[in-house]
Amino acid sequence: MRNLMDCRLYVITGESYHPGRKMIEVMEAALAGGADIVQLRDKNATAAELFGKAVELRRLTRRYGALFVVNDDVELALAADADGVHLGQDDMPLAQARHRAGRQLLIGISTHNIEQALAAERGGADYIGVGPVYPTPTKPGRQAVTTAYVAEAAAAINIPFFAIGGISPATAEAVLSAGARRLCAVSAVVGAPDPTGVCIALKRDIERWEARGSMRPESEHGAAAGEAKSDAPATAALTLLLNGKRISTGTATLGELAHSLGLAGRRVMAERDGEAVPRADWDTTRLQAGDRIEFVQFVGGG
Amino acid sequence: MRFAPIGTEGQRRLGDAAVLVAGVGALGCSLAQQMARAGVGFIRLADRDFVEPDNLHRQTLFDEDDAATSAPKAVAAAARLRRLNSEARIEPHVAEINAANVAALISGTDLVLDGTDNVETRLLLSDACFSRGIPFVYGGATGSSASAAALVPGETACLRCLIGEPGDTEPGDTCDTAGIIGPAVELAASLQAAEALKWLSGNREAMRRTWITADVWQFALRETKLPPGRSGCPYCGGAGGAQEAASSGRESRARAGWAEPSQTVTGGMDGARLQAHLSEPDRELNHMVATVLCGRGTVQVATGRETAPAHCADRLAGLGCEIVASNAYLVRARTPSGASLAVFGDGRALVRGVETPAEALELCRYYLMDKSP
Repeated sequence: MRNLMDCRLYVITGESYHPGRKMIEVMEAALAGGADIVQLRDKNATAAELFGKAVELRRLTRRYGALFVVNDDVELALAADADGVHLGQDDMPLAQARHRAGRQLLIGISTHNIEQALAAERGGADYIGVGPVYPTPTKPGRQAVTTAYVAEAAAAINIPFFAIGGISPATAEAVLSAGARRLCAVSAVVGAPDPTGVCIALKRDIERWEARGSMRPESEHGAAAGEAKSDAPATAALTLLLNGKRISTGTATLGELAHSLGLAGRRVMAERDGEAVPRADWDTTRLQAGDRIEFVQFVGGG
Repeated sequence: MRFAPIGTEGQRRLGDAAVLVAGVGALGCSLAQQMARAGVGFIRLADRDFVEPDNLHRQTLFDEDDAATSAPKAVAAAARLRRLNSEARIEPHVAEINAANVAALISGTDLVLDGTDNVETRLLLSDACFSRGIPFVYGGATGSSASAAALVPGETACLRCLIGEPGDTEPGDTCDTAGIIGPAVELAASLQAAEALKWLSGNREAMRRTWITADVWQFALRETKLPPGRSGCPYCGGAGGAQEAASSGRESRARAGWAEPSQTVTGGMDGARLQAHLSEPDRELNHMVATVLCGRGTVQVATGRETAPAHCADRLAGLGCEIVASNAYLVRARTPSGASLAVFGDGRALVRGVETPAEALELCRYYLMDKSP
């Protein structure tokens, strides 16, 4: 199973864009092209139909080692053993969803301005959607937020964010140059005759920008630590063991890692290579490749 | 004493030792029982609550009679412990552990065992213990998880350094929403008790100096090495406290008696806190503090006014309340509106069946404080 931090391309179902083709086949084509996350979104299906689709997508994404996210519905996400749930601003509040799902589900939040983005990050969201960057047929009537908001998010948000809304190989360049390093597409992928080809193109665009060195968070961390690495690619992500699982992260300190995992405000104890790290030292504890990091929930009952 | 590492000498030391069991709920019952049976000479118990039927599946010192009479946990536990070991001196305190009384509660002890159910009180105890060089043995249990760590001044970091400043209280800190099963409690308490016996019997080099987390359902056990005190921390940073510890136990225990908690209690230690802002001219009312006790639908109101339970029962009956239970330490009553009140002699009231802390304050003002109802 892919780690969220490694996910770059997020594709959402949209059956109205591919009449005559089966949803599961279209999504498999997207996965074959490198989609890292698939979200089930279907506002018209009955509960029973949704559950059937969720089960199918779960099986499919597992085969491809991709993450599977359910839109709106925490209970369905849990029932279908999804990796995450995605919530809009008008859906179940983040805190309530977290209370229900604990760490069992990743929780993503749609945001349309930087206040919502910061609130979601503070509230412990695992990732956010940033958009709609361009007007999109998927969300008719919603004001586009433009790449200005993408740039704001790139400067201020530490958890992964996916630019969404009118994302296609034609617009990817502008969105990536505004600072996005993760993209989410719907119609441009599932409505295309060749979803695999579109995904490959989008992934290639993302990787090209990654290789140039991202504006955040890596370059800033390097500067903060006073490191002379201006000519080295700042994207050199660290690989470490987090709670027993190998992950790759762009964060530089234990504090940033905790923040990126939504643990900053939580009562947790951190451990590095077998020894607890006092909370006040998190921000000065620099991560090294191969570190074994554990975050342990504080057990408070008695 | 056949267990060689303790031996006759260790057993004698246990007999001379004094501990505070802070909180006599599930963990506290197990801790107190293990200390009493091991022959620890002096056991001080502090708890703010009374026994209820739904405690009995995990709070092993209590029985149905205790629940029926709403016995305060500290008192019911003391009675039981005296039957287990008549030579041990057991000193129960029916009180909330707060900033006003924590120093008195830990004074004269060699070690403090954590049987509390919330982070705020643990931090308060850890701070106080580290300031005085007394080891604080943390324990926690929720659901099927158990945790324990012996935090030793001069050797390990304190609890505050490890789990951070209070304020970001989140669900799970204090609420037992996940339920709790006996085996998790007993494991946590046993891990704590083992470290305590090592410290008290003169086997300090055998202590683990780790933070242990375990789950008894999906079996898992992890040990994390504890870092040394953090320079800059006012509690574990200096090398001070430890020496004080060596002597504190014996000497101050000779000072008999324990100061009554201050009557200007300004705060419960956990959950949301609400200072009463009543328009009453009576200044005393403005000292009432409501604390939401998490996960129990209970609001604790510290009225700041001591009360004799029998007298209080008469008053409540006169105001139309049904008296559910009354003993030397507390009175429990149901108001005509269906709310329930448990009023302790130290002036605290536990209120259930209200929606908000403000409502609890209003209820206490009317039933407990007004001069001429």
